[in-house]
Amino acid sequence: MSSPLDTPEGDWWNQAVNRREAIWLGLTGIWSLAIFGWMSAFTQFGDQNPVGDTFRVSATEYQAKMQSYREAAGERDGALVPPGEDVFIAAYRFNWAGTPVVLETGTEYDVHLSSYDVQHGFSIRPEHTLSKQMNFQVLPGYEWVLPMEFDEPGEYHVICNEYCGNGHRTMHGTVQVVDDL
Amino acid sequence: MSVAGLFDNDYREDGFRTCSVTGLEVHRTVENHVKLFGLTAVVALLVGGIFAFTVAMTRWEVVGLLQPSDFYIHLSLHAWNLLIFWMVFMEVAILYVGGPMVLGRRLPLTRVAKAGWVTMVVGALATNVAIFTAGGLPNENAPLLTAYAPMESPPAFYAGVILFIVGTVVAALPFFLTLWRERREHPSQSLPLVAFGAFITSIIAFEALVGGLVTFVLAFLWRVDLIAWMDAAVYRQLYWTIGHGSQQINLAAMVTVWYFLTHVVGGAEVVSEKVSRTAFVLYLFFINLGAAHHLMSDPAVSVGWRIFNTSYAFYGAAFASMIHAFAIPAGLEAGRRKRGLGGGTFGWLTSGPWTNPVFSATIFSIILFGFLGGITGVVMGQMQINMTWHNTFATVGHFHGTVAVGTTLAFMGLVFFVVRTMFQRQLAFGRLASLQPYLYAGAMGVVVVMMMYAGILYGVPRRTAQVVQSIPGTDFSLQAAAPLFALLGVFAVLAILAGAAFVVVAVASLLVGDRVTGPGDNADLVADGGDGDDTPVHAYKMRGTFLICLVFMAVFVVSYVLNWYLLTELWSVGT
Repeated sequence: MSSPLDTPEGDWWNQAVNRREAIWLGLTGIWSLAIFGWMSAFTQFGDQNPVGDTFRVSATEYQAKMQSYREAAGERDGALVPPGEDVFIAAYRFNWAGTPVVLETGTEYDVHLSSYDVQHGFSIRPEHTLSKQMNFQVLPGYEWVLPMEFDEPGEYHVICNEYCGNGHRTMHGTVQVVDDL
Repeated sequence: MSVAGLFDNDYREDGFRTCSVTGLEVHRTVENHVKLFGLTAVVALLVGGIFAFTVAMTRWEVVGLLQPSDFYIHLSLHAWNLLIFWMVFMEVAILYVGGPMVLGRRLPLTRVAKAGWVTMVVGALATNVAIFTAGGLPNENAPLLTAYAPMESPPAFYAGVILFIVGTVVAALPFFLTLWRERREHPSQSLPLVAFGAFITSIIAFEALVGGLVTFVLAFLWRVDLIAWMDAAVYRQLYWTIGHGSQQINLAAMVTVWYFLTHVVGGAEVVSEKVSRTAFVLYLFFINLGAAHHLMSDPAVSVGWRIFNTSYAFYGAAFASMIHAFAIPAGLEAGRRKRGLGGGTFGWLTSGPWTNPVFSATIFSIILFGFLGGITGVVMGQMQINMTWHNTFATVGHFHGTVAVGTTLAFMGLVFFVVRTMFQRQLAFGRLASLQPYLYAGAMGVVVVMMMYAGILYGVPRRTAQVVQSIPGTDFSLQAAAPLFALLGVFAVLAILAGAAFVVVAVASLLVGDRVTGPGDNADLVADGGDGDDTPVHAYKMRGTFLICLVFMAVFVVSYVLNWYLLTELWSVGT
């Protein structure tokens, strides 16, 4: 009897492995390498990668950046229109500075994300297709520049999905995406 | 020592007795400490379970039980009591079972074990009190499980956690000494598989606990102003060494328990020592890299770092889990075929002792952990897919798939087993006891799936008191997910009732259960037969297991492809 409660008998390392178990080992080994390969390769050819440049930034520095961005930005129906392809968003308890903002489809923006105080979560989705959503951690002290190109116009909603204090649930901002700006 | 007659089994003069179910030589010192830690764990389960109710009834926003400030406190208490205290007290008990009990030794350093227990209890109490009395903004925030710096929680919270971690390390020392002595006395003899699994668990645990100690000592010093500033990204990386590492302890301990219980109550054997041990060694090397899963959608870690770590170095640990996924059911299949228990493709499974909750809890745990927790863990851990899972309710679904229907269910089975064989009591409310794993697995299984759907298909965030019915200050809400939450709410209540049934059965058995007076009373726990058969166990058919595993692989592939499809439907992001 080969009990897991007893010291194994004899030369257990060289005992045969059941054929089906050996096949399973092969299948799962191949699958493991396949999903590793796909994930790695997708960073080369894929359109959705959580990858962008990161810079150290203090809260005051980022506030200054937000300030000059706001001054350079235009306005449309109470929403910011970025002056170029850089879009700045700052999370703080309990709001998204830099929203609402108007962006256009087909332009690759550099979205800058940072926080003035604690950790937040940038969670964005179009109003009418909730399953299309993506989420990024926003850290104080770090400015993350994520390139983003929208392909469908509409109202996009940003909520916070990292607990940031008792008012966490009220953090909401909008991004309006239009065809031509 | 005979508190309420719970610690008074009959031992021989040398302090040992022979267990009629496992055949192990059990020393009084081991058994009493397993009971002590096990009972404490059940108390933590009860506390955490009460907060499961208030948390679920708040997330079901139609009920909307708690105000946000209370909700975050209750959520913190739910997390710490279930994810940490219930699990870790059980895991110390499992180390004592896997070490000294399986090896037929006494527990050394019993005073150290008790000191560890006292420190853990004081730490757990301090943590609970500090969370419960947290006053909110600006610097008394509920910590949730993570206490993400730079948000500040009460200093007493960090102190309580440090005490608990130190206590756990102390309580593990007798286990390490046991193994040290065993190796010194039998240097050329392999450990039994269960002891080997417990040993691997203990090393994984040690890594996690040391990481946790560094994290929480630093955070405590920062909170009492002895160091100036806590970097958010550094904290995250430090924290997840214990945050995820502690859950890898659960995994390794649970897999060890699976080998143990399928053998004892189901008649499973080890079909290949080499393969199963290799899988444990892969865990040892790679499983703790999984801490990186929490940093996939983070700004501060490089792509190469993320891909290497999230894949546990080319999926070394996922491969290990898939090895166990075959080896454990295959052990059951081959062992039961050898004993003449059930023919055909699945007879070995259908003929199992399904009215024995130890058996059913173990089997459900294996199946649900694999299909719900395991697959989703790997899928959401892919760096790009993580963008669609990160901090959504789907993540909560994943870890209820691992920790609730996986580990908790296995540990419930183990507690029932300890009640029968160590406390020597028959289970009270026999019918309810038999049904309990079915109710819990069924209801909690639905809850897990609803959580995943809510997160992936509707983008519902985790850790929030309000988002589906309305979001204050805007007309926008995730109302479309409301039907899922109605289902989730109802099944969460059922799951919590099933959890309550577990506590009722366990406690009532101890207090009023019939005493086990001789080997005959526990004979139903043992899978017997097959002793005379000399065919090596690997030569038996494993057809049923193979088919189940192929179904598992198909579900895995389909989940993987669907998640990638959803991702590629999104607008483009990243360089």
